[in-house]
Amino acid sequence: MSLSPVTIIWAGVFCLLGIGLYGLLAVRNLIKVIVALQILVKMAMLSLVAASYSVDKLALGQSLAVMVMVADTIVAVIGLALAVQVQQRLGTLDISELSRLRK
Amino acid sequence: MIMSSWLIVLIIGVPWLGAVVLRLVDDRRAQLQHTLAAAFACITGAVSVALLFFSSGEVTLSLPLGEVFGVFTFVPDAFGVSLSAIAAAIGFLAVIFSVDYMQGEAQLGRYYSFILLFIGAMVGLVLSGNLLLLFFFWEITALCSYVLISFYNDDPNAVKGGLQALIVTQLGGVGLLAGALLVQANLGTYQISTFLAEAHTLPVGVLSLTAFGCLFAAAAKSAQAPFHYWLPGAMEAPTPVTALIHAATMVNAGVYLLARFYPAFEGVPGWKTAVVAVGSITALIAGIMAITAVDLKRVLAYSTVSQLGYMVYAIGVGGVFASQFHLFSHAIFKALLFLAAGTVIHSVGTRDMRQMGGLGKSMPFTRAVFIIGSLALTGIPIFNGFWSKELVLESGAAVGPNWAYIIMLIGAGLTAIYTIRMVWMVFYGTPASEEHYHDAAPFMRVSLSVLASGVMVGWLLVGPFGQMMERTLPYHHLHVLTLPELFSEAFRGAPLTLTIVFTGFALYLLLRKFTALWDQFDWLVRFADLDFGFSWLSDRFAGAVQGVAESVRVTQTGQLNWNIFGLVLGLIVILAVLIVGAA
Amino acid sequence: MTIPPFIWCIVLLWGLTPAIYLLGRIGQQRDESPGSPIARWAALAAMLAAWIPLGMAITSFADGPARYTLGAMALEFDGLALLLSVLAMALGTLAVIYSIGYMAGSDDEEKFYAMLVAMIGAIVGLGCATDLFNMWVWFEAMAITSYLLVAFYHEQPGALEAGVKYLVQSAAGSMLILLGIALVLLQTGTLDLSEIHAAAVTSPALLSAGGLFLIGFGVKAALVPVHTWLPDAHSQAPTGVSALLSGVVIEAGLFALLRVITALANVTSDWGVLLMGFGALNMLIGNLMALRQTRIKRLLAFSSLVHIGYMLLGFGAAIYTGTLTGAQGAMFHVFNHGLMKSLAFMAAGCFLYVLHAAHSDHSALVADDLYGAAGRYPFAALAFSIALLSLGGLPPLAGFMSKWQIFVACFNSGNAWISGLAVFGALNSVLSLGYYAPLINRMYRKAPSAVIENGPESLPLSMLVPLGLMALAIVMIGVWPVLLDWLSMPSGLALMAALSG
Repeated sequence: MSLSPVTIIWAGVFCLLGIGLYGLLAVRNLIKVIVALQILVKMAMLSLVAASYSVDKLALGQSLAVMVMVADTIVAVIGLALAVQVQQRLGTLDISELSRLRK
Repeated sequence: MIMSSWLIVLIIGVPWLGAVVLRLVDDRRAQLQHTLAAAFACITGAVSVALLFFSSGEVTLSLPLGEVFGVFTFVPDAFGVSLSAIAAAIGFLAVIFSVDYMQGEAQLGRYYSFILLFIGAMVGLVLSGNLLLLFFFWEITALCSYVLISFYNDDPNAVKGGLQALIVTQLGGVGLLAGALLVQANLGTYQISTFLAEAHTLPVGVLSLTAFGCLFAAAAKSAQAPFHYWLPGAMEAPTPVTALIHAATMVNAGVYLLARFYPAFEGVPGWKTAVVAVGSITALIAGIMAITAVDLKRVLAYSTVSQLGYMVYAIGVGGVFASQFHLFSHAIFKALLFLAAGTVIHSVGTRDMRQMGGLGKSMPFTRAVFIIGSLALTGIPIFNGFWSKELVLESGAAVGPNWAYIIMLIGAGLTAIYTIRMVWMVFYGTPASEEHYHDAAPFMRVSLSVLASGVMVGWLLVGPFGQMMERTLPYHHLHVLTLPELFSEAFRGAPLTLTIVFTGFALYLLLRKFTALWDQFDWLVRFADLDFGFSWLSDRFAGAVQGVAESVRVTQTGQLNWNIFGLVLGLIVILAVLIVGAA
Repeated sequence: MTIPPFIWCIVLLWGLTPAIYLLGRIGQQRDESPGSPIARWAALAAMLAAWIPLGMAITSFADGPARYTLGAMALEFDGLALLLSVLAMALGTLAVIYSIGYMAGSDDEEKFYAMLVAMIGAIVGLGCATDLFNMWVWFEAMAITSYLLVAFYHEQPGALEAGVKYLVQSAAGSMLILLGIALVLLQTGTLDLSEIHAAAVTSPALLSAGGLFLIGFGVKAALVPVHTWLPDAHSQAPTGVSALLSGVVIEAGLFALLRVITALANVTSDWGVLLMGFGALNMLIGNLMALRQTRIKRLLAFSSLVHIGYMLLGFGAAIYTGTLTGAQGAMFHVFNHGLMKSLAFMAAGCFLYVLHAAHSDHSALVADDLYGAAGRYPFAALAFSIALLSLGGLPPLAGFMSKWQIFVACFNSGNAWISGLAVFGALNSVLSLGYYAPLINRMYRKAPSAVIENGPESLPLSMLVPLGLMALAIVMIGVWPVLLDWLSMPSGLALMAALSG
């Protein structure tokens, strides 16, 4: 199999997936968690564009990516707003402190 | 609609309407609650008596509910009308009794409402001709029993007893559920009549599963070993409830189930032996536990378990008629005994027989009816228990395994011992206190008198009862008896059993004083107090489940990273399953 | 082309959302009070107004599913959409009525109502989506509104924590869904669900896509092991929202999952097996987790896991064996669970309201607070008992009938394993009584707890009305299960139609 641009993009998608998931598993800072989420968002957008390119529907893929951008900006904004509240009310951004609800 | 369909609508509808109405009446208007409850129960009782004259083996009322739920049918056959008459009549007497017994109690609306709901459900259970409907009513009776056992919710024992009863009977219910669904899946119908007619076409494995599923359900519902331990726990209920639900009606549902499906299951290999074993072992161990118990209601509870064992045994040896006859007798005399015991408890304020004694002087009426009930329980002629118990033993002697027959004879002796012990400890002997207790109140006397006369003359109905069964139960091929036949049948075995019974009486009266001898049996007493380990096992099991649940809770760590780990883990597992599935 | 009524339902809900917010805001500024009564009534009016087009959509449903195409995007009001929109609208309306009393005077009331109505609109839209990406957008809209509602008490550490966990886990799942969509697009070249069904063949890409969908939508539908957000979010949200989250939002996630799974039906026959496997796991873990809970809303949240398990069992059996009964039974259970769980949350919310009123704090309602509740609040206690007993599967209540139907489907499959799973489900029902029943015992004690004793004399009428309606519905369905055939039948048929393409 030759190393076509599409293959490289898909490799990038799975790299981003791995990095994003690893980030969510490992980081302790709420802001970094949201950054890791954003990496996953980029993974998703990239995969949509790559897939639509392969099936020759690039316009579709790009419009999907724009929609994803819109939706996930809202999610990121809400996430950051919650982070601000967490910092204000609890005085920390360490998510291991955010474990009062358990069992 | 014809007359009998209207009666069926009324006999379930009236008490259920009553249940709703009682729920709506303000708890501060107690007198109105008593009156309304008595009125609804009275109408139900009257309808049930009327229904006796309209028995038939045909579907009388059917409500089609589509493919999945089948046709809800009601069949007023002999099982149905006689058991619904018992439920409604004893229900009425229990309500009348409650007017005095529950005077001044709180939450009367809830109390009466669930009693009426129960009466309707019990009647529905025995009249339904559809397996789903049967299960539906079966579970409602369990619900009512749970609510009424833990009626005194402030008492932890009552809460525990109610929950135990609920969980055990529900667990048994799973057996009935599986059986009903197997029948539906294989025959495509819920109709009991179709099932009885076509049971032989089912694969042996399916029929065995159904048969043993039903036995499992029946054992749990009728408090048979190894599930018998919930019934003593149920004694925390107010006594009229005990008399109605845990002596006269609901606990009979298991026996009813076995009797109802007997034609389908009798050919299943090992099933009859299993039924005999369950019945006889239960009768034996419950008899022993009744001798050692000191709580008056618990003695009666063990006695109920033991008598239910007789009925189950009778079915196992093919004596369906004998078992139903004993069920009929037992319902009346045990309701009488419980209500009389309730009168005693109401006056004395305790259930501990060691704190009673010599009550006969101050409560002559109660003593009289209690002794009538006791004589029936031990099987002394001419009380109703004598006839039916003799029939049960005769069926066992004719065809059953000998070991089981011998156990049942020993059981008769044990019955004599615990009964006379109970009568002695409560009404004779030295009084535990000098206080003078009041005898039964007027409404209580009404209930007790009716039941006592039922105990004395109820068995005279055996002829019409038998004819009705023969006419309306086409699949059972019953061996029914007329009154003269009953005489000859019962007196054939009577010398033997009566000897055993009087030996039992004599043993107790003679050896009562030799405490040293009784101490020799101390280990048995202690073992019996532990329910022969069954309730211990059940508690351990419940504890183990709770323990597992507690340890599973650590999986909810509350850590965000851990939540994401769940996501990754789930993804990996799913992909693995898909890869394995595709390969 | 005329616009079919169901579109008007969505348009009304979303169109009125800003109006609710603005009216509430204006009213607040005029009265200079923290609460805003105008927002409450505006929200109620919006919900009632949306019933008009929905009612028309229901009456015209008999003529076949309505379809609306706008450019490349199509919405279809089929059986699944019918059930989901009726459930969402019914529970949404009741939740709004309930919140009139429950939320009265709390800060940001106008945002609460605006988000609530928007969430209902998103759920109705989600039910009607016919292509993958469109579905994702509705799904995300529902998720976003629900994040805000979960974290509504943003000054409470518990609510903040629950909001953060919910958002992160849910958003991560949502990205996995997008990756799955990309894989489907790559393999089939289309996003339309029926075209995907036709084009799908067994391939690694579609298998992984299905796995990604299972987990991605599974986060919302609370499959074990991605359920960990649910007990936090459902217990920390305001009660009206908890009722909706458990009663309809997780079911909406499940419906979305079903739509994509049925579109990929030809890829493998393992989907049904996986669903049943998750069903068994959900029942067991949910029950064990709930058994030792003392916080009531958390207990109810875990019980939602159990009921998702029953639905998965029914849907799984239907997808695996292709029988209608399972699909219909599970749909029936979806609706009943919506009623039962909402009733349970709202009734528990009454006692929580009492707790707030008595102590003005946000501490959790624990089981021992229920002591003697029936003495002072007999109606709420009765409603709570009915909800709990129905959840436990006791007749004559709705939960019994739908569980029965699911078990019938399992036994009718003729497969010993599936029948065994039904018995397992029945045993789990028995186990669940181990935590439902003690709550009822507590309420009917005579000696009241401190919370109940210090509570107000009576509860607001607006909280009692939804309780009464739902309790009545549960009893009626329990006695006469065919009452709901008009919902469960078409939705079951729609699922089977989607399965066979």
